[in-house]
Formats: sequence, C-alpha cells, structure tokens
Amino acid sequence: MTSEAATAAIPALRSDQLFVNLGPQHPSTHGVLRVGLTIEGEVIVKAVPDIGYLHRGTEKLAEARGYHHCVVLTDRWDYVASMPNNLVFCLAAEKLLGVKATPRADALRVMMCELNRIASHLLFVGTYGIDIGAFTPFLYAFREREMILDLFEMVCGARLTYNYIRLGGVMVDVTPEWTAKLKEFLEYFKPKIDEYDQLLSYNPIFMARTQGVGLITAAEAVSWSLSGPNLRGSGVVYDARKADPYCGYENYDFDVVVGKEGSCWDRYFCRVTEMRQSVRIVEQVLAKLPEGPVMAAGVAKIPKPAPGEAYAHVEAARGDLGVHLVSDGGVSPFRMHVRAPSFLNLAILQEKLVGMKISDVIALLGSTDIVLGEVDR
Amino acid sequence: MTQDELLAKMQKKFPKAAKTAVQVKDYLTVSLPSKDDLIPVAAWLKKEGFDYLDMLTAVDYLGPVDMKGYIRQANFNVFLPEGAAPQAESAAVAGYAYRPVLELVWAFVSMKDKARIFVKLEVPRDAARAPSLSGLFKSADWQEREVFDLFGVVYDGHPNLTKILTPDFLQGHPLRKDYVHIKDRYDE
Amino acid sequence: MGMILEKLPGITKGMPGGDLILTTADALIDLGRKQSLWPMTFGLACCAIEMMGSYAARFDFDRMGVIPRASPRQADVMIVAGTVCKKMAEPILEIYHQMPEPRFVISMGSCANCGGPYYDSYSVLKGVDRIIPVDVYIAGCPPRPEALQYAFVKLQEKVAKMSLKRGLATPQQEKGSRDLTA
Repeated sequence: MTSEAATAAIPALRSDQLFVNLGPQHPSTHGVLRVGLTIEGEVIVKAVPDIGYLHRGTEKLAEARGYHHCVVLTDRWDYVASMPNNLVFCLAAEKLLGVKATPRADALRVMMCELNRIASHLLFVGTYGIDIGAFTPFLYAFREREMILDLFEMVCGARLTYNYIRLGGVMVDVTPEWTAKLKEFLEYFKPKIDEYDQLLSYNPIFMARTQGVGLITAAEAVSWSLSGPNLRGSGVVYDARKADPYCGYENYDFDVVVGKEGSCWDRYFCRVTEMRQSVRIVEQVLAKLPEGPVMAAGVAKIPKPAPGEAYAHVEAARGDLGVHLVSDGGVSPFRMHVRAPSFLNLAILQEKLVGMKISDVIALLGSTDIVLGEVDR
Repeated sequence: MTQDELLAKMQKKFPKAAKTAVQVKDYLTVSLPSKDDLIPVAAWLKKEGFDYLDMLTAVDYLGPVDMKGYIRQANFNVFLPEGAAPQAESAAVAGYAYRPVLELVWAFVSMKDKARIFVKLEVPRDAARAPSLSGLFKSADWQEREVFDLFGVVYDGHPNLTKILTPDFLQGHPLRKDYVHIKDRYDE
Repeated sequence: MGMILEKLPGITKGMPGGDLILTTADALIDLGRKQSLWPMTFGLACCAIEMMGSYAARFDFDRMGVIPRASPRQADVMIVAGTVCKKMAEPILEIYHQMPEPRFVISMGSCANCGGPYYDSYSVLKGVDRIIPVDVYIAGCPPRPEALQYAFVKLQEKVAKMSLKRGLATPQQEKGSRDLTA
C-alpha cells in the first residue's frame, strides 16, 4: 500500500474546526467588538463580527433633545476625533436653519478638524504598533498627541469631548497665544512624521506583517462602501473634502493620498501621509485666517427649523461621516441618522477574514481603524 | 451632470419616479411608486456610475416620539411642586402632516461625477417590507440589518436578517415613534 | 519602597537582631498589595482613550506600580472606563468573576457612574454599580488622566486599611455586594 493510499484509507484524518471567541474584551479589538472565528488549523473558515456592545441609542436620544443638546451627543460617536462629529451635525442643522457660519468660524472649523485628524491618526499609529507587536511607537505617538490635546484644552477646555463647534460657528475665538503655540507645535511636529517612518513604517518586521496582508481591491472597497483611508488605501480617489467641499476646503491646496494595492500597510501609510497633508492645510488656514466674528447672528437659543430634510457629510478621520436630519418644525430633530464610516468599514471583515491566517486577524482589524462608539452609536 | 439632467435621464427610463415634495437640501431626491421598482432602479443607478451605496435608513412619520421609550421620570424638573402635571417634552407640531408610514431612504453616490441621489420609498408601518439590495451592494448587508433591528423593516432576500445592535432581550424596535420601553432585568 | 530600602539599614543596624523588623502581617501585605495594583486593559468607550493616555509617556502610570495586564487572571483592578451597555453587562460580570480576589473596581466617568449623558437611553445600564460593587468613582466626561491617577491614590489608601483578620474580604464586600450572581 502506498503512502497516499494509506492516508486516503483513514477516513477521519481531518482536524476539527475550533471556535475562537475574540472579544468583547480583548486588548486589540479597540473597544468592545466581538468576532466569532471558526478556525481550521491556522486558517479562518468563518468570521462573524458581533457588534452592539456599545449601542447607546444616540439616534433615539436625539429625538428628545434640542439641537444644541445634540451636539453634546455627537462628541461621543467617534471619541478619538470629535471635532468632525460636531461639525457634521452643525452643518446639517445649519442647512435646516438656513444659517451660514462666518468666514472666521469656517476657517477655525477646518483647522480644528485637521488637528483632530492628526491626533486621531497618531492614536492609530500608536495602537496599530501595539497590535503588531511594537510598543515603542505608542509612547512617541502619544507624546505628540498630548500636545494637540493641550491645544484643544487651551481653546475649549476639554481634552476629548470638545463641543467646540456649535450651530452657527464655534464656541470661542482663538487667542494670539494659542496661534503662537500652534505654530510652535507645527514646526516641532513636521520632522516627527519622518521619525515615525523610520521607527515603524519602514521597519522590516512591521512591513513583513502588514504588506500584502488583508488585500482589499478597489471594486470590493466600493461595493462594501468603505470610506476614508480604507477606501483610499485601495487606490480609489474619493475624499469628501474634494468631492463635496464644505467650510471652504476648496480654497486650500492639499493632495488626496491613495495607496496602491489595498494592503494593511497601504492603509497605514495613507494615514501617516494624511498627517502631512493635514499639517499643510493647518498652515494654510493659519496664513490666511480671516478676521471677524466666530458666531453667526440669528441662531436662536431654542432653534426650531422649518420642516424639511438635510444631509451633510464631512471627511472625518475615519471616513465619510454623514448626518441625515429630518425636522418637523419642533424643538428636537424628528429623526437623526448617522452614516458612520466605522460601521461600514467593519462590515467587510466578515468576508475578508475568511481564508486568512489567525495571526493576521489583528493586523487587518487594526488597519481598519474602527472606533466602536461610532460603529454602535 | 446637474440634478435636472439626472432626473430627466432617470424619468426617461422610469417614468413613474418623481421628484419628492420635500427634497433633501442640496441633493436630488426621487420617490419610487412601489417597492417592485427598487431593484431595477438600483441596478440602473449602479450601471450609470452610482455604484457606491452611501447610506440606507428609514424615517417613521407616525408622530412625535413617545416619551415612554425613554427611561425617565415623568417630571424631572426638581423645582416644580410634588404631584405637578408631567411636562410633555415631545409635542406634535401643529400643521405638520404626520402619517402612519415608514419612509425608507437610500443614498447613492457616483464618485466619477461627484453626484449624489436620494431614493425614497414609503411602506406601511404594519407591513414594512422592501426588497434587499444586498445582492447589488455588499454594504447593504449590515445597514439593512440595522434598519431591521431599529425599525422592524423586513428586507426580502437578505441572507442574514438578524438583530445587530440591540441586545437579544430588548423587545420592539426602538426607533419607531411609538416604541415603549419594557423594563428588563437591568432597569430598576 | 526605595525610601524604605535606603533608610532602614541605618535604623536597623544598631538594633539587637540586626536587620530583623517587627511589623504586622497586615502592614506588610497591604504595603505590597497597594504598590502593585495591576489594572486590566479593558476599555469600553471614550474614557478608555484617557486611560490609554494615562499609561503613555506624559502621565506615566508605571511609576505608581500600575502596569496594565491583558488577562483578567493577572489583574487586581478593573477600570470600567466608559458606557456600560446592557449587552455588555453580562461580559463585564464574567470578567469580574475571572479576576482573582481581592479585586477592586474603579468606575471611570459619568457613564459608568450613573449613565451620564445616556441617562434616558433604552440600552445603557445606569451605573456599573448595579451589577458589580465599585470601590472608587471618578466624575467627569471623560475624567482627565490625573483624575484616574488620583483614583488609584484613593484606592491605595483603601487597600492600606485591609486586614487579614477579616479573611480575604475586600472592603467592598464588607459594605455589601450588589453582585447579581454572587
């Protein structure tokens, strides 16, 4: 009997499938995500993401709160980058109210959102390093992140949940000391991005773990409605700042960063390069910061917009964040729907994880850069 | 492509698709006469370059939200005397046409043309059914599950229409306007 | 600890018996216990980002003997950092019971204390103390890293008062556990 025949003769020479429960408490799921993995040996045969562990019912709560109160709720969707959340709700509500923010408020909004994008991507660089096994970038990235949080704290008093962008403008104007400190930070920060490249981006171990792993083609990315760096990492040029400009983004000169093949490394590197672009935008805003008031006149204490519908979307740190508001003329939104980029970016996992090695799960999961507050809302 | 051109092009193919009375501000909004038109319209839009399903949601137009859906004291104003009449916080707005329908909303984006179109379909509240777009757009999968979970809209042809956000023991569909919260073991 | 090691040899040198120290077992155990409170890396929501900030370079939690552990089996403290949703209540209980005794709980932020901005939500648990006993509450939305560090200082004060005589009962069990399954 040949050896092949011997193997064929044993009917049950097949490893059993094993169910591995990843989360909801797992240091690398970035929150309370649970993924039910069925593995055969090292290979995943089925992956079922289970979300809702942070479902706080924001959309329902908004229906019993005033428009100004809803801005507070928006802070807590994507708590790593709250400024774009404030902004997108305010843009939608301003469309309903027929209010337009002042030029200086628009410039400040752009500046804060871009600074917050840098802070958010820094957190990603740090935590993705930890996911892959490099602890040091976390310490460096948080060092710079704390400086941005200091700037935010100086201007609005909060480190994480800002409630800075309000209906009709922003909360307060920035002071000359603040702009001086921001310039100082930008000069400090620019060479640091090259440092991250040396430390992590071109680290051979990191590249081996992430390049060619978790490939998402452009067609898949579009079909799954990915957005932000996840979409651009696959080579699709789409950025809400260019496609549907808001707050005067059309006046600033910046590039849309795209990746080549849609691997984990491409998505990672898109974010690192986006930080450079954000610095460019902040510098341009600083150079031509218009004078004037920061709050538009005519925003009521209790706004009651005329019945209607509005949709606004911005390019948040994680992708295309949208808010669909319906007003019946009352003091609260009749309906608020959040088009959460993390929610859609996460959905692709159930398909992409199948066939991957179990050691690559965290590499792919980390590279999508989800925030569970936004996934579950 | 301007909004009017897109609408004309669409009405040439689907004469029954009409511009809605209430437009989503700044974007073209069309309503579909029946749910049978949804799949052909979506397939046509996908062919025309609107291959990015941006958003999928629903709106319940029954009336003002029922405050029993929130876990609140009826009167949380501590300055009022004891036994004061509960302050209604959510009141019907006079003159607004509330109606017992669920309006389903889809938003399609054409990345090439940088255009966006909203498609709407009204379904009755008690028999909320619509065809699933998950065969055309993969991203419809989770979004339809979300609408099913929060509104109770059944999407025919969805491969795995189960709860996604709310816990298993939660009864009802929280985002419906008449949702009343039933106390569970975690509420005192 | 460093101060003790530096100064003690000088004091004990002249004593009969040399470097023999007489102390109560409680004092010794509590000293060790309070200087190495290891929390579990367990983030729920926004507060978890501030918790990560505390571990990072600027706030440097390591100098207080606080080193995050990924497994509940190795942890002493559970920092409930963020909104506890009803769906998450069951896993939190499970994790709490996986931790070895004595175990402590810090409720970080308004959401974990009482529901916070989600006080009227249908899916949020109004305070983690409805399912597990809590030792220290921190107010704030989210609390600053300094507030979290202050909570650890307060927890250390609490641990320093623990006594072997009363068995392995932790302070929070003395005041009556509201644990659903215990």
